[in-house]
Amino acid sequence: MEKSYNPYENAQAQFDAVAQLINLDEGTRDLLRQPLREYHVLIPVHMDDGSTKVFKGFRIQHNDARGPAKGGIRFHPHETADTVRALSMWMTWKCALVDIPLGGGKGGVICDPHHLSEAEQERLCRGWVRQLSKVMGPALDVPAPDVMTSAKHMLWMLDEFETVHGGRYPGFITGKPVGMGGSLGRTEATGYGVIYILRQALKDLGIKIEDATVCFQGFGNVAQYAGRLFTELGGTVLAVSCWDNNAHQAFTFRKKDGIDVNKLAAITSAYGTVDREKAQADGIEVLPGEEWISQEVDVLVPSALENQITPANADKIGKSVKVIAEGANGPTTPDADEIIKERGIFLIPDFLTNSGGVTCSYFEQVQSNTNFFWEKDEVLEKLDSKLTHAYRSLYSLAGRKNLYMRDAAYVIAINRVVDAVRMRGWVR
Amino acid sequence: MNDKTNSKEYLLDVLQERAKELNCLYRIDEILNDEALSLPEIFYHVITALPEGFRFPEICRARIVYKDETYESEGYIPSEISEKADIKVEDSVVGFVEAIYTREVQRIDDDFFLSKERQLLRTIAYRIGQTIMYREMKQRAHKWNVPASSDEARTAANPEWKIITDLLLRTDPDMAMHVCRRMINHLSGKGVRGGTGNTDIFSPGPLRQFLTGEVNAPGEKVSVNEMTHIVEETFSHASEHMSETEISALIQRWIQEEKASSLIKAVDRIDASIGEIVEAITRYHNLMGESDQSSFRSERWLEVALIRRFLTDNLDFIRIARPFLKIDDFYDIASRLIYPSGSHGKIGGKATGIFIAQKIINRMKEKNPLLESVRVPKAWYITTDEIKEFLQYNNLQELNEQKYKELEEVRINYPQIIQLLKNSRFPPELVKSLAMALDDFGQNPLIVRSSSILEDQVGAAFSGKYKSLFLGNQGTKKQRLEAVMDAITEIYASMYSPDSVQYRAERGMLDFHEEMGIIIQEVVGRRIGPYFMPLYAGVAFSNNEFRWSPRISREDGLVRMVMGLGTRAVDRLNDDFPILISPGQPTLRVNTMPEEVKRYSPKRIDLLNLENNSFESVDISGFLKHYGPLVPGLPDIVSVYRGDYIHRTSIMDIDFHQDDLVVTFEGVAAKTGFVKTIKTMLEVLRENMQTPVDIEFAFDGRHLYLLQCRSQSSREESAPGPIPRDIDKKDIVFSARKHISNGIVSDISHVVYVDPEGYNELRSLDDLAAVGRVVSKINAVLPKRCFILMGPGRWGSRGDIKLGVQVSYADINNCSAIIEIAKRKSNYVPELSFGTHFFQDLVEANIRYLPLYPDDEGIVFKNVFFSRSKNMLPQLLPEYGWLSNVIKVIDVPDSTNGKVLQISMNAEIGEAIGFLTQSSGERSVPVSEILAGKKIERHEDIRFDDKFWQWRSYMAECIAERLDPSRFGVKNAYLTGSVNSGTAGPGSDIDMIFHFTGDQDQKKELELWLEGWSMALAEINYLKTGYSSEGLLDAHIITDEDVANKTSYAYKIGAVTDPATPLRVFGKKNRN
Repeated sequence: MEKSYNPYENAQAQFDAVAQLINLDEGTRDLLRQPLREYHVLIPVHMDDGSTKVFKGFRIQHNDARGPAKGGIRFHPHETADTVRALSMWMTWKCALVDIPLGGGKGGVICDPHHLSEAEQERLCRGWVRQLSKVMGPALDVPAPDVMTSAKHMLWMLDEFETVHGGRYPGFITGKPVGMGGSLGRTEATGYGVIYILRQALKDLGIKIEDATVCFQGFGNVAQYAGRLFTELGGTVLAVSCWDNNAHQAFTFRKKDGIDVNKLAAITSAYGTVDREKAQADGIEVLPGEEWISQEVDVLVPSALENQITPANADKIGKSVKVIAEGANGPTTPDADEIIKERGIFLIPDFLTNSGGVTCSYFEQVQSNTNFFWEKDEVLEKLDSKLTHAYRSLYSLAGRKNLYMRDAAYVIAINRVVDAVRMRGWVR
Repeated sequence: MNDKTNSKEYLLDVLQERAKELNCLYRIDEILNDEALSLPEIFYHVITALPEGFRFPEICRARIVYKDETYESEGYIPSEISEKADIKVEDSVVGFVEAIYTREVQRIDDDFFLSKERQLLRTIAYRIGQTIMYREMKQRAHKWNVPASSDEARTAANPEWKIITDLLLRTDPDMAMHVCRRMINHLSGKGVRGGTGNTDIFSPGPLRQFLTGEVNAPGEKVSVNEMTHIVEETFSHASEHMSETEISALIQRWIQEEKASSLIKAVDRIDASIGEIVEAITRYHNLMGESDQSSFRSERWLEVALIRRFLTDNLDFIRIARPFLKIDDFYDIASRLIYPSGSHGKIGGKATGIFIAQKIINRMKEKNPLLESVRVPKAWYITTDEIKEFLQYNNLQELNEQKYKELEEVRINYPQIIQLLKNSRFPPELVKSLAMALDDFGQNPLIVRSSSILEDQVGAAFSGKYKSLFLGNQGTKKQRLEAVMDAITEIYASMYSPDSVQYRAERGMLDFHEEMGIIIQEVVGRRIGPYFMPLYAGVAFSNNEFRWSPRISREDGLVRMVMGLGTRAVDRLNDDFPILISPGQPTLRVNTMPEEVKRYSPKRIDLLNLENNSFESVDISGFLKHYGPLVPGLPDIVSVYRGDYIHRTSIMDIDFHQDDLVVTFEGVAAKTGFVKTIKTMLEVLRENMQTPVDIEFAFDGRHLYLLQCRSQSSREESAPGPIPRDIDKKDIVFSARKHISNGIVSDISHVVYVDPEGYNELRSLDDLAAVGRVVSKINAVLPKRCFILMGPGRWGSRGDIKLGVQVSYADINNCSAIIEIAKRKSNYVPELSFGTHFFQDLVEANIRYLPLYPDDEGIVFKNVFFSRSKNMLPQLLPEYGWLSNVIKVIDVPDSTNGKVLQISMNAEIGEAIGFLTQSSGERSVPVSEILAGKKIERHEDIRFDDKFWQWRSYMAECIAERLDPSRFGVKNAYLTGSVNSGTAGPGSDIDMIFHFTGDQDQKKELELWLEGWSMALAEINYLKTGYSSEGLLDAHIITDEDVANKTSYAYKIGAVTDPATPLRVFGKKNRN
């Protein structure tokens, strides 16, 4: 087991590297390289068939120096404490990078909801909250949906929490449906966020958005909203690649004078497959899937899956590409990073690029706590200003210290947490 | 009755009129015999019942005048069209009965009334007279014998047998004589002999005529007196030896038995045609009327004989079906059966299945109130031999030879056969019968289904080989009739389709005398906008062979359901998904996350458009926008997907234009009795048919309908795989005993094995992710459906990558089975996914799933096979060679001296086994032999069969042989691709590489020459397989430079895996 991949060790190694870079003292390192608090609980659940099954649950609060811990709750049959530890640490850095007043946490239950009825899942959710209701809450730790959990689970958990505490506390949890304490604008948040940040990057590179061309890998929720906003701002979506569920292969769709994102979305099936014939009728060229990377555009937005830019294809990146904005989680492998650095392409790390989601979660919490809900425009406006601000500080740090953007992101995030623990006097 | 000279319609008309008359008579008899009624009451009942015996009951009225009192039925008016019969008591006229029509009716033989109707009226008048007389006599007897009890009084004046025999003599003299003869036999059997005048009963004479004549034949006037005499004498003699009740009971029994006798006579005759049996059953049905049949002990052989005549000769089936069938049940078939004269046909497999299922469900309704709401749609049947009549009528007998022709020829002929049949004429009797059926159906949409003898038999699925056609059934009667006839010809034609000929050939069924019955069924549904559709429909199985959770057991069953017509649930579509529910575990759903629920929900709906009379598939979202508000109970069918939440809502809450509506059937499952009803239905049918079943159902908003029922094992995909016990131990690669479903995966030529330990030792996230990428790449290059994937933990897991290879469905879609290995880790066994991450994709693509627990006791898991076999990975994907201790790609034949791997999964005994065996493909068999019916045992479609590979390979050799090197500047030719690897499917190209050294002109000429080949080969392939394409030859022209640099297709020459095969280039003009 020791030899195998361990996400927690990985996260610690990442932290250690940055700690070295910013010359962090021993005490602070010890405090930040592991979680502040861990709760391991047993949840007995009455099953539909009359038997009782005992599930194992966790809640891990990595750090709450900057504010209440924030992080998802995962239902996974092979959940391990180490996975949850690693994820809670990443949440701390992510919140700090966007500069929202929240810490990092994560939770999980070892179970596979596919093998549980809805009633059993409800009892499980309520059981988890009962076990942890004293150590969580709007001012302590705020869960959210994650792997194999959804809004439905969040509402059961909220209801149980409110039953235990005798009151209404919509700020206890996020990811709720609109009307039940959810926030407007969440659907758009991640995609729009990509463009709010990209707009700033283009400005810094002296590229007019009206002259800019972009190619998206993937045509899901993120790419569609990002593409729409980019077009509205005057830019051109030159190409989009996505998976064809019928042909079992990906295709790249290209139109030299720009793709109409709404039109393309209209001929995209619920599975995300674009109708190739209709696309061609609309003057769109259909190219092999892997050609998304070699398009002669200003910006590449990989917004599909992990590990899409690898040493094997990094040399095929189009000559004209000046920016890569990571819309997906981890689309670039570490060894591909080196090639991108050499090429001098400006990379906006996934950490920041797709932080529209977590920022909107924060807004949901703020609205829930005040029990006052904003219009969508207001949410998006605040999102724009929050992300723009986050980008500006990151860019200026990277420039000042001559850091690769991904490294700069870690530095700025960890520094902010270090500041907080120092100012609180936890370390000197 | 000689139905060869009478037209069938006429016969049916006559029968129907006859049935009406008899019904009327028996009804009136009942009234007259009801001693509780007073005479005026009797008259009122009689005039109400009387019109039913006439041709146009709705405008027929009756009147009785008795002793100056007049009794009229409602709406009686004096009419020109009138018929009267006098009521006489002891020969004096006391009144009359009159029947009138309120307006003019169609004349027959220049008369408004049929002669039968006049006779009926006379009979009724006569019986009324009799009743009046009996009543008067009874009164008199009562007055005169006050001290005696009334019973004794009757015995003295009119013993019961006397009343019965008198009545019989008047109304049914044959029956009277029959009863009389039985009494004589009975008496002589008891040793009572002699008696005055009895002997003349046995002597030839006028009596003979009655004893052998037909029931209800005219002629009662001939010798009533003589018969009365014989009967009275016989019975008075009997009354000396038996009590009155004894005699009455005997008479009653004999009458009942005699009623069935004509049926027995008809069925007993081997040469009796279906027509005669139908007539006998109809008569039986009418005679028995509503009477309680349970008191009548019918003979078992009669039921069996009827099953054999109408349903099947299959002994097992007869044993199962008999307890549920009463003789009168066959009237359901007989009254809606279309058959040629002299027919000896049956109703075919499909019709039989639904018929018996219906009877079982009806019988079980008492015990299971849930089944009360289950219905079966109305259906008409065409016997299996009607097609013979049809062919003969059109002189098309030569089509019988069709199935023995070469498949190419079958394919060439097929379009002509369709046209030939479509332009054939229907025998006029068939047309008339169909017209009658259409009158019965009205304008309800119809489905015309094949119901052949072979179809739905155990071991032959035939699903989709013969057609089922939906008809809107709108328009004028002529149009509707034409549409039905068109559908019938199309179904008849499908017997000659290359697909069905091939299918039968492969199963050695060509010589079986196949006949095609047809069932015309009402489509269950309701009108919604321009459409007609059931609210939902689908299929259900007793055994669940695709279980998505270890908590679901096989017996929990499976329902596949969709909105609209069930066609989308019956077929596997690959790009659309039905909703899956396991009736035994309805709360465990395949998809739990909202996005999963949405992604795997039905996206299209099949329905009938009544405005243009066509079958259509439309987008569900578009359909709901327009017609959603018209669908009753819609909130039970769809949920609203709003903000990562699947809402079950009310109709008031749905915004049909904005909302994202997802078909979930959540409300149906939670609020209605649907799931329980289906579960009960499956259980009841499984228990009583003694086999797991496979049913089709539809719900029209009011009732749940059963549309089809057959044995589930007849579906090949769910047939249990045999577990051979005599396998050499060293040939067993793995075995399993947990969560086994049924199925066979054969001819596995490659195994992709992700070593659990190797995988666990990978240190970085990138390395783990690389495994998924390698699997994806291998998936793209290995021959489709000939390899399996084996790996630790959960394939496709979205969570921790450590716990299973991270792949999406697209990365594994070409494999034939996916195997998850749960190897014990320290002290716990990891939980497997059961493929839940892409479960529905696997189901629709028929990719099998098997979990392995190698550490369990008694389980075989041959590590050596995986560790010692040569790993192709470094050659296949040199850039990933460093993963070769984690991923093994094993060429099975190469590592085992030509053997292949086969996985046999048998849920019946809960065992599965993976073992090495000889390939089932016999490469040396010539194409023609395969086509001529060599048995090929393959569990799924024959797409990857040798025959596609073989002739292609041969043709490639031909091309090379005839290629003139000097003319075209070709140095060498090679065969590559699927033909080279022997994995070509019916639509595969022939990939050839030409090493070209000539000039531009030669190149052009070469391309032209090859194009000609390509087109010709495409045509041949079309004839062989039905796959059409522009060209079949995929020619890759490479140059010296390519060869030197191994660029373009040149890399295939001398490649490690699947190298191109050099062909001999001759430039032969002719073969000899």
